Amino acid sequence: MFSIVSKLRPNNSFFSLTKTFIPERNYAARKGTRERKQKKKTKKEVEVKAKFIPHNQRNKDALLAARPILKVDDSARPLPFDDVYIMKYYRWKVYPFHEAVESHRQTHHPDMYNEPNSHLLARIELNMQGEKATRFVEDFSRIAAIPHKFEHGDERAIIAFSKTASVRQEALDAGAQLAGGVDLIKQIQNGGVSLQNFQYIIAHPDILPELVPLRGVMKRRFPNPKMGTLAVDLTGVTERLLHGISYSAKKDEHEKDFGLVEAVVGTLDMDSRCLEENFAALVQDVYRMKPKREGTFISRCLLVSPPSSEKFKVDHELYIEVKDDNTQKDVEDDGEGERVAL
Amino acid sequence: MWKSLIRTITPLSKTTNCLLSAETSIQQQLRTTFILKRRINPPLSKKGGPPKKLRTRNYLYELVKDTNCDKQANIDLILTSYVDGLGNVGDRVSVKSYQAYDQLLLPGLAVYATPENLEKYKDVEVKDMKVYSSSTALGVMQVLSKITLSVVMNKDSPWTIQPWHISASFRKCCYMVPEYAISIPEKPIKGPNLDIEGKEFYITVTINKTEQFKVRCRIHHWSTNIRERLPYEEGFWKVPGELLFPEDEEIAKAQSQNK
Repeated sequence: MFSIVSKLRPNNSFFSLTKTFIPERNYAARKGTRERKQKKKTKKEVEVKAKFIPHNQRNKDALLAARPILKVDDSARPLPFDDVYIMKYYRWKVYPFHEAVESHRQTHHPDMYNEPNSHLLARIELNMQGEKATRFVEDFSRIAAIPHKFEHGDERAIIAFSKTASVRQEALDAGAQLAGGVDLIKQIQNGGVSLQNFQYIIAHPDILPELVPLRGVMKRRFPNPKMGTLAVDLTGVTERLLHGISYSAKKDEHEKDFGLVEAVVGTLDMDSRCLEENFAALVQDVYRMKPKREGTFISRCLLVSPPSSEKFKVDHELYIEVKDDNTQKDVEDDGEGERVAL
Repeated sequence: MWKSLIRTITPLSKTTNCLLSAETSIQQQLRTTFILKRRINPPLSKKGGPPKKLRTRNYLYELVKDTNCDKQANIDLILTSYVDGLGNVGDRVSVKSYQAYDQLLLPGLAVYATPENLEKYKDVEVKDMKVYSSSTALGVMQVLSKITLSVVMNKDSPWTIQPWHISASFRKCCYMVPEYAISIPEKPIKGPNLDIEGKEFYITVTINKTEQFKVRCRIHHWSTNIRERLPYEEGFWKVPGELLFPEDEEIAKAQSQNK
């Protein structure tokens, strides 16, 4: 710039000799420059507008403190001794499973609600306390295999991977939408087949090395033995994924040690024996997630069926196998057939 | 203390005819006992010597207990006549203080269990003893005979009211009433019939196969289809409904008197 100045004003040699380093310009700065620099100097003060909070949500902590505790404990209440009684003063009645179903059938009878094939839901309340006092069991979603199928109404498309053709065929026969080997992997890499259309991805362990490049695409759906999607018996896996009970356990937002599973066990028009076996399978599957600590994991099981608001408590302990070291040894001696807890 | 004194004396000064009250209110007890604790203990005095002078700080106290807020103990009474759920003449009962004053002593149904009264009511003839099958049977009877049980029946498919319908309706309202304890009216109630919507009838419930009482039931038609459902009537149990059978009028009258 200085060189330009000197070129423009060659006859000012006197000044240039005495004050060589003083920038001198007799032209105006570019338009808007001063404003721009001024703007940079003054910091923008962002006005934080006070957000309106509705009156009923202002004192949230106090509201939460006043909320009834979800972990219901009625053990302090007496047992009823009359045959006619007011339920709220006594301990909850524990129904035998068939009686609970029968009671729901009464209210859903054509004479009353007229919904005899309504869904029967199991409401399983969990104690989500982890191994340490400050740790909690993470929310989990699983699919429980059940002995008696029913229409669950979900869309569950399955894609199966295996190197052997016979295994692929078995998976297709069991109900998988698509089955393939290395070619299918290439097609997915090309974009010929989209994994978006499939809810579940299952694989035989023999194709696992070839499947690894797809890990980025599949992310959490990548077949793994923990989820039960990587197994030798693809038929069983497909059956379980297609017809099993899909459930998820969620911790309460504010009461972290209270978890809830609500899952359909069957429909009311099914045989109560079948419903009971499905329920047992669900309870056993949930119980598998029990953390390694003392105490109970499943705190209460209720049977619900919309539109009725009735809840019937059933005893889940009947369906859980207690894993004591002594009993396990005994059972092993007796043989496997007697371990079914039904 | 002054506060409670004022509380008792002011009504006296206002009302001239204080003779009407059963007791002179000045004799009422004043609960003014506060149990205190010294915050700083006074210094120990020498053996045999005069007590040391107390300093200002020794007059600071901490409240240990305010006897005003204490839970009142039960009061022992002797019944002078039969009282539902409590006992018969001459029975010695222990009742919560407020209930004792309000419901027993004031109406004259009981007297204090003083040695004199105990002597007086020692040998009282007991007539018409009422014995219930259990201690809670009476309470259940009183509650259930006051309610209006909503019997929700279908609006589209035909039905005739059976005991299990009533039992299920009771269960929905959180009352456990088994089927065998219910006897329905002899005349069959058939539907769906919108003419009997909101009409009432009486059923008989038997507790522990001994005590019988009537329960008011009201028919409500419910449709599985949301569009065809009848509008919900807010607080329907507060408004008395029409009777389905005119011969039930006597029962209805007797029940309304009991309320």
